Amino acid sequence: MADLPPLPAPDDPEAALAAVVALRRLAARLEADAVTEAVEQGWTWAQIGEALGISAQAAHKKLATEVRARRGR
Amino acid sequence: MGLVRAVRDIRTIKRLLTGAEQEARSAGEEVPGPEHLLLSAAALPDGTAARALARVGTDAAALRSAVAAVHADALAGLGLETGPAPATSLAAPAAGPMRTSPQAQQVFQRAVELSGRASPAGLRGVHVVAAVGELERGTAVRALRSVGVEPEQLLAAARAEDGLPA
Repeated sequence: MADLPPLPAPDDPEAALAAVVALRRLAARLEADAVTEAVEQGWTWAQIGEALGISAQAAHKKLATEVRARRGR
Repeated sequence: MGLVRAVRDIRTIKRLLTGAEQEARSAGEEVPGPEHLLLSAAALPDGTAARALARVGTDAAALRSAVAAVHADALAGLGLETGPAPATSLAAPAAGPMRTSPQAQQVFQRAVELSGRASPAGLRGVHVVAAVGELERGTAVRALRSVGVEPEQLLAAARAEDGLPA
């Protein structure tokens, strides 16, 4: 694995916190993309929840509407 | 507050919040922040927000790109190159009661407060611009700075546009 550059220095909290915001957005995007693909491949919400470390209900509540909309377009 | 103004304000608020939600969702975000309110304000038919932005040499399109660039740069700082592709917009229509970030709520409330002091009275896009100009940090501020605009400059432009007290 390639070496990642160092994380923003803690003495620059502004840059570090902006990176946290950007990572949260990226994580949400990756989650929606991956869960949509999982549903396409026939995964159940229980399996998706298990992979994400959350309950099936939580996974469904969070992403089912978005997944349905994406599959419908 | 007169009835006519109240009805007009309700229309403005609906446009503003619906627009902010659309801005957020098309950028792949569920919850609008101040940057999405600002972009939505710039599209309001009263035109005051767009004119205040023009006073500092920018516009909604430039700010929209700047917001995306701010996030991409922050990721690049971590060695994550997400490429030039725009974020996937959310496909599902917004459901349930509208949510906004606490900072967006603060901006909205401040804009309403400023609109009460304005002459003529009534909520206009420029009041949202002024409220964003009072922020000190966060994505909206970083995006503004990346196009060379300090929040204080934006606040001054909004005041000049609306004749708000300094």
